[in-house]
Amino acid sequence: MTTRRRNVRVLVVHALLWSYAAVAFGPLLLVAIGSFRSNADILRQPVGLPDSLDLGNYVRAWETASISTYFANSLLVTVAAVALCVAVSAMAAYALSRWRFRGRALLAAFFLSGLMIPAKLGLLPVFYMFQSMGLIDTRPGLVLLYAASGVPFSIFVIMGFMRGLPGELEEAARLDGANEGRLFVSIALPLMRPALAVVTVFQFAPTWNDFFYPLVLMRSDSKYTVPVGLTRFFGEFATDRATLFAGLVIALVPLALVFAFATKQIIAGLTAGMSR
Amino acid sequence: MTTGRARPSRAARGGYRAGRTSPAWIAAFCLPALVLYGLFVVVPLGTAFYYGLFRWEGIRPAEFAGLGNYGEVLTRYPLNEEIPAALWHNVLFFAGTMAVQNTVGLGLAVLLYRNPRGKRFFQTVFSLPYLISPLIVGYIWSLLLSPTFGPINFMLRAVGLDSWARPWLGDPDTALPVLILVNAWQWIGGPMLIFLAALGGIPRELEEAAAMDGASPSRAFWSVRFPLLMPAVGVITVLTFIGCFNLFDLVYALGGSDGGPGGAMDVLGLLYYRTAFEGGTNAIGESSALAIMIFILVFGASLVLERFLRRREVTP
Amino acid sequence: MYLTRRGLIAAAGVLVMTLPACAPSAPGGQTGSEQVTLDVWGWRQEDVAAYRKIFKLYEDAHPGVKVKYVPYKADEYDTILRTGLSDANGPDVAQLRSYGLLQPLVAAKSLVPLDGQVQELAGFPEPVLDGARGESDKQVYGVPFAIQTLHVIYNKGLFDKHGLAPPKTWDEMTTAFGKLKAAGLVPLATTVTDTWMLPIQQEIFGATTYGGHDYLTKMLAGQAKFTDRPWVDSLARWKSTSEYWPEQYEGVSYVDAQALFTSGKAAAFPGGVWELAAFGKSNPELELGIFNVPPPPGAAAERTLVPGYVDGSFGVSAKSPDQKAAVDLVRWMASPEFGRAFATELRQISAVPGVRPEDPLLAQALAAYQADPSPYVTYAYFSGGTPTAWDLASEAFSTFVAGRSGAGDAAKHIQQGVDQWFKPSQ
Repeated sequence: MTTRRRNVRVLVVHALLWSYAAVAFGPLLLVAIGSFRSNADILRQPVGLPDSLDLGNYVRAWETASISTYFANSLLVTVAAVALCVAVSAMAAYALSRWRFRGRALLAAFFLSGLMIPAKLGLLPVFYMFQSMGLIDTRPGLVLLYAASGVPFSIFVIMGFMRGLPGELEEAARLDGANEGRLFVSIALPLMRPALAVVTVFQFAPTWNDFFYPLVLMRSDSKYTVPVGLTRFFGEFATDRATLFAGLVIALVPLALVFAFATKQIIAGLTAGMSR
Repeated sequence: MTTGRARPSRAARGGYRAGRTSPAWIAAFCLPALVLYGLFVVVPLGTAFYYGLFRWEGIRPAEFAGLGNYGEVLTRYPLNEEIPAALWHNVLFFAGTMAVQNTVGLGLAVLLYRNPRGKRFFQTVFSLPYLISPLIVGYIWSLLLSPTFGPINFMLRAVGLDSWARPWLGDPDTALPVLILVNAWQWIGGPMLIFLAALGGIPRELEEAAAMDGASPSRAFWSVRFPLLMPAVGVITVLTFIGCFNLFDLVYALGGSDGGPGGAMDVLGLLYYRTAFEGGTNAIGESSALAIMIFILVFGASLVLERFLRRREVTP
Repeated sequence: MYLTRRGLIAAAGVLVMTLPACAPSAPGGQTGSEQVTLDVWGWRQEDVAAYRKIFKLYEDAHPGVKVKYVPYKADEYDTILRTGLSDANGPDVAQLRSYGLLQPLVAAKSLVPLDGQVQELAGFPEPVLDGARGESDKQVYGVPFAIQTLHVIYNKGLFDKHGLAPPKTWDEMTTAFGKLKAAGLVPLATTVTDTWMLPIQQEIFGATTYGGHDYLTKMLAGQAKFTDRPWVDSLARWKSTSEYWPEQYEGVSYVDAQALFTSGKAAAFPGGVWELAAFGKSNPELELGIFNVPPPPGAAAERTLVPGYVDGSFGVSAKSPDQKAAVDLVRWMASPEFGRAFATELRQISAVPGVRPEDPLLAQALAAYQADPSPYVTYAYFSGGTPTAWDLASEAFSTFVAGRSGAGDAAKHIQQGVDQWFKPSQ
């Protein structure tokens, strides 16, 4: 009796999970299938299977859009920005949660208030500032901007995490005569790892996907990131859905693979980060 | 009521005891973040305030205008009607996202937590849309929702639900709900992962104890586990709030810079974009004034939100 | 959230206090070298190949000068151009929008005035130059490149198949559309979600109802308004054709509408002549024709009117390090050589005087426009202040077409917005 009820429950749960999987993946599947069909076919019959395995769309998409260039740019900018952001935030968050000094509360509030700033509102001033600093159309400019806008959130998460972390290890090391820099690198940083993982995950995707800053701040096609490059591609192939879909698939697959392999680490990091 | 979470003693938890650290160390640790954040986030906002005090001719400040731009933005038709409308859409969007995205995210997390089989597969599939740029998500969905060539209406018709097939993004009644759903589709992985992580951090014994007391599973969930999820709810609320007021890319792709049919999807982010980049000769002055007003508004709202959340947390 | 409220307020104070002003500035231009590369920015991504051919002519005649066409997505172009023109790394020559959209650039002094620098402009008709003029100083800032005319573009094959010819009267037109609809076709592939197409459609179907240039003259003099009968009626007229629009037209995008037409599902497409090239490219077998909407009963104009306007111009960035070379290029763009190349390669109507399009459809369009011209009121006029009639019209029409407001309400929206700054000329 109970096992049967259990079985029914498992069945229902799985039905629910699979149906949401269909919702999440269905649209992407339509795009993937569409990328093998001809444009005329898609217009005639929005849902359907390809007549034959035609790779022509992929060839056209690959040749027109320099997706590999966009990809390299996105990777470079995102990795550098997230790394820089996590590094400076970890240091500041450590100081703010472990040391007592005058103005500490105010400084913390100053950082955290950045959480409430819709960062895009500063776009025009940022543009003119970049212009005077010669940062227009440079990847380092983007890196600095993204790293800066991630600071409040990163400090918020890391401080929250540090608060729940006993300071005994550091105390012991301090008594052993380690200086603050050493203490941070060899003791605090390893302890913070889960929080750093959370921050990395939550900064990575928005940075990778941002479209607005590079749209206004970047000029050369060779420095475009994936979203801006794809927008351009979208403009060019607005009426050719098949090629568009192929371009999307090319842009998505590498990221999806990385994500699939990294999920385990992400979850582990999140779990440790949340259950402080 | 005592929660089962192991709370370390106050002294150890705070860890503040480490008294005097030399100013040099403090500076070395705080300055990099401060300079970066100050220069690229705070200074531009300050500059925006300064810009807003002038009447501009293109990219040249022409004359000091004081609060003139603020007056202009608040009184000029149709801006004076668009601002409250956009704000209201932001609020609806926030409420809708909390209701749809975060509850479904919680539901999925609970389902996955109870059934570890295939967990990683489902996690990956559910979070996949998170990897796509919101702009691209918008383009994909506008293709899918197109009444002429879109597969969604095509499938509805194919299964006999002809009356359900609608011009989704062209109908002022459905545009905003569709926006909320598409946004939820993209971001659902976030709350799901956070809830899943939080659930994983709750000791199993707690629920087992409740079960032994004869509580039903759902009762056990609501009375034992849910209160322990409150910190996660707090984090997600904050993230949703930030995301909500930064909303731009997705709406832009789904409804253009006018915010869809009759402005049904117009939000503050779009309004700022239009004023800044599609405005007239005084665009910089007016959009800067608008930016400062939005900033004050969002800041004020977050004060209220923060107070509310804090109250929830001290009474688990 | 672990912030204290006082902390937050204090922080907000600090945020606002940090007030360094860095006004926009730009580095000065570098001195010219022997090899000059001119970047020409534009919003026509589909035209890159054609411009390469056109500029090849110039490069061949001017050794040492390279010209590169750098296109941006049309939706984002204005944003990019406004910021791009403010520094030396931006364009040397830029494709400029006409009328109202040009004004912020003029006010910013981002462009070099061309009066006196490009003598060829003297040969351009005044109305054509109006599109490239600054409202404040009446100077010309660009060499107009194209004249766009607005028509109903139709699929000849489908019209022939159903025994239809371009209509001579309004009733003939609606009867023809009815026939096409009965045959399971979409008579008119209209778009609604891309709101910039709405004022275009309103001119195509409504111009004769309010009366074209005659009515505009009265409006500019303050003797007629958007809210007066003729103009309000023109909206209602346009909307009355909605029974021939695609099913659920509220959700049909520009791209959808184009696809409806090129795939043969729709028989006609109301739009500008620039569509002809795009249609021809995406379906070379399509046989195209154009006609204009005959006046309906009770219309102010008795003749069929052809709406048209100046599409845009090429101007020189004031920040260009190679300004002299850029002005030379722009001067060439006012020559018949450029005009002919432009018309041939891009299949558009060149704005250079005396250049006849070889394409028969373009020739037909131009001849019809010159015989019975009608203005694009909301775009080309009432654009010198904020909000522009065009912005207001796009918003108002979107609500109107969705059935959420009446023609009178839509007209009132425009009038109320424009009244805030428009001063009638005496």
